Parts: sequence; C-alpha cells; structure tokens
Amino acid sequence: MAIRNARLSVGVFILCLTACANTPQTRLVLGSPAATLPRHAELTEVPFFAQEAFQCGPASLAMTLNAAAIAVTPETLKPELYLPDRHGSLQVEMLAATRRHGATAYQLAPELNDMLHEIAAGTPVVVLQNLAFGWYPVWHYAVVIGYDLDRAEIILRSGLERRQILPMTTFEYTWARSNYWAMVALPPGKIPATAEEASFIAAVSALERISDPERAQSTYLAALDRWPKNLSAQIGVGNTAYRLHDLVRAETAFRQAAQDHPDSVAAFNNLAQTLADQSRYEAAVEAARRAVSLGGPLSQTAQETLADIERRMKHSLNKE
Amino acid sequence: MTQQYSRFMRWTSRMLMASMLAMSLPLQSASAGIVETDQVVSHELAGQDRARISAFLEREDVLARLQQQGVSAGEAQARVSALTDEEAHNIAGKLDQLPAGGESILGILLTIFIILLITDILGLTKVFSFTRSVR
Repeated sequence: MAIRNARLSVGVFILCLTACANTPQTRLVLGSPAATLPRHAELTEVPFFAQEAFQCGPASLAMTLNAAAIAVTPETLKPELYLPDRHGSLQVEMLAATRRHGATAYQLAPELNDMLHEIAAGTPVVVLQNLAFGWYPVWHYAVVIGYDLDRAEIILRSGLERRQILPMTTFEYTWARSNYWAMVALPPGKIPATAEEASFIAAVSALERISDPERAQSTYLAALDRWPKNLSAQIGVGNTAYRLHDLVRAETAFRQAAQDHPDSVAAFNNLAQTLADQSRYEAAVEAARRAVSLGGPLSQTAQETLADIERRMKHSLNKE
Repeated sequence: MTQQYSRFMRWTSRMLMASMLAMSLPLQSASAGIVETDQVVSHELAGQDRARISAFLEREDVLARLQQQGVSAGEAQARVSALTDEEAHNIAGKLDQLPAGGESILGILLTIFIILLITDILGLTKVFSFTRSVR
C-alpha cells in the first residue's frame, strides 16, 4: 500500500513536472515555424574562447565581437565588464562594452523566433541563461551559433564547450529565467534581421555618442535604406557629417529631414547652424526662425541658435 | 620656503585656470547650435510611449473600469498628452509589467493600478513617483 502510494506520488510529481513546465516559444517555433526560417543553420566560423572562472561575459562578448570582425580578447574585455564582487557581468555593461569597441549593441525582442532569424542571417546571439532555479540562480552568458528545427536543438559556444548542443526545451527553460535576454553585436553598416525601427535607431545613437562618427554614420545610412523617412536617422547622418566637417553632406541630410518632417525643430535648427557655418546667414536665419516658430521642448536651443546666427551675421556685415 | 611654495601654487592654479578655459571654449562653440541625435531619439520614443498609454486607456475593459469609478476617458486622455517624455516612458514601462487582462486577482490588481494612476493624476493621491498632479 505504502509502495503504491509512493509510486502514485512519484507519478503525480512527474506529471506535474511535465504539466507545470512549459516552453511556449519552443512549441510555437516547432509547431508553426515561420516560412522565412531555414530548418537548420550553424555559424561554424564564430571563434571560440574558453572561459576562465566566472568569465563567461568577457568570453561570450569576445566571440561575438570577433565574429563582427572586431579583434578583441576576453582579457581586454575583462576590466570593462567583470565585477569581482558579483562574480559576473551586468547586462547593461555587455551592451556598453560592445559600443566601446565600435559595434552596434542591439538587444533583441524576447522571442526565440527572432533569435533563430538572426542566426539564419549570419549573426551569433549572446544570451543570458539561469542554469539553475529562480531561487538558486546560476547566471551564465553563452553564444548561440546554431539550431536545428528537425532535431529540436540549439547549438552554443558555452563555458568550456566549443560546441554545446542543448534540447530546445532545456535551452528555453534556462533562457526564460532571464526573461529571454539576448543581444547582438554588429559591425558598422549592418542592421539585425529582426531590428525594430525605433529601438534600433536608439541603439545607433548610443553608439554615436561614444564612437567615431564614421561608424555611426554608415549604420544610420543603412537604417535609412530600410526606413527611408526615419527622422532620428536623418538627423544622425547630418550630425555625424557635421562632426566630420562635411557641411555639404550635413546640409543635404538636414534639408531632407526638414522636408520629410516639417514640424521637426531639430531638423531646422541643425540646418540653420550648418548654413551659418558656411556663412550663408540669410538662409540660416530663415531656417532658425522656422525652428523657433515650432516651439516644443527644444525651443530654447532654437532661440539660442537664432540669436547666435544673428550676432554672427551682424559681425560679418560690420567687417565688410 | 612656504612663500615660494605658495607663489608656485598661485602660478600653477592660474595656468590651470587659463588652460581649462582655453580647452572649454572651442568645445562649447563646436557643440552649440546642434541638437544631438539622442535628443531626437528620446523625443520620438516618448511619442510611442504616449501612444501606448492612450491605447491602453482606450481598451474596453479599462474604459469600463474607469467609468465604474466615475472617471471620464476624456480626463485621462487629456492628461496623457501633458506628460513629459520621461513620465510617459515610466508609465509605459509599468504597463508592460501589467497582466494582459484576466479576472479575479489580476483583474483587481489592474483596477487598483488604474484607479491609483488616475487619482494620482487628478491630485487626489500620490502613490507613483512618476505622476505629476494636474492641480
């Protein structure tokens, strides 16, 4: 009787494990895969760095950056990423370190489907996994380099394993505990296959703040190929050109932005500044007045630009 | 010795001040007059956040609960357009964490959240740090 009870409870326990446990994204991807997704893909050329103790963050990032043709070793990344007290690296710092090395850091939507599409498009994906439980977390970064829908498998470069193969369900359990955190590191001029417009442009502008303007500019231009009317990307092309002292290109970019977005203070304000720097003061004042007339949160900047241009104009007239 | 030392210090500090001033001048004039890209980006993102909050307040279940509580949809919507960029972003972030409907406990939590959000906005309560009352 006791044995039967024990058996019953084991049965209930196992039933509960299978029933309570669910991997909705795996079910979705295997059950109704997107027509655009190949059955399998593997990025064999992604290099492998075996991690030292607790160094999964630097190792994972080094692998993806090298895949993006940015030569860097885990040792270089360690001081930028590793927090000795926590035996690990923070997610935001993974993104920030990527930018410091001149790549665009883009956090993917929390979707297995998106991740697989990135692999199929040739981009390895850094994921954060919790290898244990919510109440006993063992956090771990790894690089997903492949998948096989027919065998329901995910292929990773992980820890000391050059080619780790996980059942897709196991992978989803460990990945879901980080709320499906995933990022890609991309070389200048490249856009993720699954990029969402606003988030991607925000990622490029974060790169623009700290990298050389050429890198950000080529990525803005690629973004405009995909989303031709995006205001931030248009302004980004103009601002990077302005920083590179290419005033002609900056003017063209700002004019296009002003034409597509006639209510953008930034477009008219930056156009005014670019014209003034070419000593074309009348056109500059006209653009600056337009910027001021639009109001909004940037209106103070616009007023300062206008005042500055008028002063410079007067000064140049006095000289003549 | 001390006098010499202090003269040396005065000289150094003057040189430092002059060189720092010289360094700051060209930097300022280079960036003056240009609106940075990330300013444009954050403004665009805030527009999306606002649209998401408005869409949330237009949902039928949300509208019904608002009406039960005697808050008109117009009042709530008028306030959404007055949110600053940062506030809109905060609220949109909270909305993401909300359960997507459902009844019982989730429903009650949702109701409490909406009511507190609206009463915060009307200036009757102050639960959320990101709200700013109309009054």
